[in-house]
Amino acid sequence: MIIETDGYRIDFTDAIDAFKFDETDKAKPTYHGATALKAVDIIAELPEAYLFIEIKEYDKPEDFDDEFKADKTRYGNFKWLKRYLKYKFRDSYLYRYAEEKVNKPVHYLCLLNFDNALNSSMRENLYRELPVGQVSLRWVRPFAQSCQVLNLAEWNRIFTKWPAQKVATA
Amino acid sequence: MIKYLKIQNFTAFDTLDINFSNGVNLFIGENGTGKTHILKVIYTACDITKSKKSFAEKINDVFYPSDKQIGRLVKRVQKSTSGSVEIGRELPDGKTSSIKLALTSHTLTPNKAKLSGATKLWLENPVESVFIPVKDMMANAPGFRSLYATRNIHFEEVYADIIDRAFLPALKGPIDHQRGKLLKILQDAMEGKVVTKGEEFFLRNKQGNLEFTLLAEGFRKLGLLWLLIQNGTLLSGSALFWDEPETNLNPRLMEKVVGILMELHRLGVQVFVTTHDYVLLKEFDLATKKEDKISYHSLYRKKGTGEILHSSSGELAGLDPNAIDATFGSIIDRQITKEMGGLGR
Repeated sequence: MIIETDGYRIDFTDAIDAFKFDETDKAKPTYHGATALKAVDIIAELPEAYLFIEIKEYDKPEDFDDEFKADKTRYGNFKWLKRYLKYKFRDSYLYRYAEEKVNKPVHYLCLLNFDNALNSSMRENLYRELPVGQVSLRWVRPFAQSCQVLNLAEWNRIFTKWPAQKVATA
Repeated sequence: MIKYLKIQNFTAFDTLDINFSNGVNLFIGENGTGKTHILKVIYTACDITKSKKSFAEKINDVFYPSDKQIGRLVKRVQKSTSGSVEIGRELPDGKTSSIKLALTSHTLTPNKAKLSGATKLWLENPVESVFIPVKDMMANAPGFRSLYATRNIHFEEVYADIIDRAFLPALKGPIDHQRGKLLKILQDAMEGKVVTKGEEFFLRNKQGNLEFTLLAEGFRKLGLLWLLIQNGTLLSGSALFWDEPETNLNPRLMEKVVGILMELHRLGVQVFVTTHDYVLLKEFDLATKKEDKISYHSLYRKKGTGEILHSSSGELAGLDPNAIDATFGSIIDRQITKEMGGLGR
């Protein structure tokens, strides 16, 4: 099942379903339509889990993000990206909750263009802030089973059943 | 400026042919891939232009093989073999010069090793050089120099040399603006200046004099750098060799240390640094401006034979293999296995 979005093509060879989650084409059945909610790029369904996938080739947010532009002192680049990734996941989870499609563990995979060390640092921060796991004694289930941040080389080295490649964008 | 190093069957190396940047040269690689050896060979070649020691004698003192048998520096193989090191350099007038030391595994003493090349021209053009070893010597300075000079103690000569360099008195005349700026950065970071009393170093600040034995080892490193800048050892045309600056250094101080090394490069100091540390490497990457000259060198072992190879890049992102990044990659891999099991594989 091949999905092409944001300049990448990923083949989910063992998925039951996979689709562009932030679909903007109203003609498609997977049209997102909830503009108040942020959306991850791809959702894939495996027999035993869901994958939420966000692809981000990081550029300076001040070039396109009004919130960043308005308050540079509060958000450094790292903090901005962390917030961006965090709320994408949470909003996507809410959307899927409303769809009654959170009946399997959800793994959050962020495909970024950083080196492994920076990705590790981002992962540690996201892990705490999503948060991953059953963080309250009152919870009966976690909403994020895991979160991983990796670059294209590492993705392809590890996820051999989901080969990814960059594609030329128009 | 040191331009290249060629090695044949020397210490850990079979063959190595590596070109250097006139500015900053950073060496990464796993343990046992010869990073420090490269620095020691080049340092030796620079040092003899000032100390006037023979190249073979100095290299023997800097590497300190067992019983000071220089032939033991030849790469160990089953049969008798010969080895060599050759260093090329661009002189201040633009001319080039090189020297080559050849020896065999049976060479017992330095005077039996063969030096060739433009040795006269090499020695006529002195280059100030500093080798900062991993282990701090500043706190152990009292008595060490006289002990080293009179007794046969088992220390590589770089340890005695660095103390000698630190003890050099200040240059005559006022300190120029650029060096003054660097000294101020260091003073702010370590909250004081370095003073010497006899053979002992102290950090002087408002509270008085604090002996180096009571000073955090990271600050001793900053103190050493302060002395070398203050006494004019690190001036344009000199060469700085620093083996793993990150040792005992708080990661927060690395930005400052790297900033100073980059400024030294911009003043005309050729810098050679080995590291295992991601933060240090990344700080160099972040501190590099378009006009800076920097080379990243990766030393690694060839699969199967174990032979040491190298690759060089003008950009950190282009360095392949990168042992430091691969370590983080391995952590990511194991983390995913732990949390996602076999999904996607």
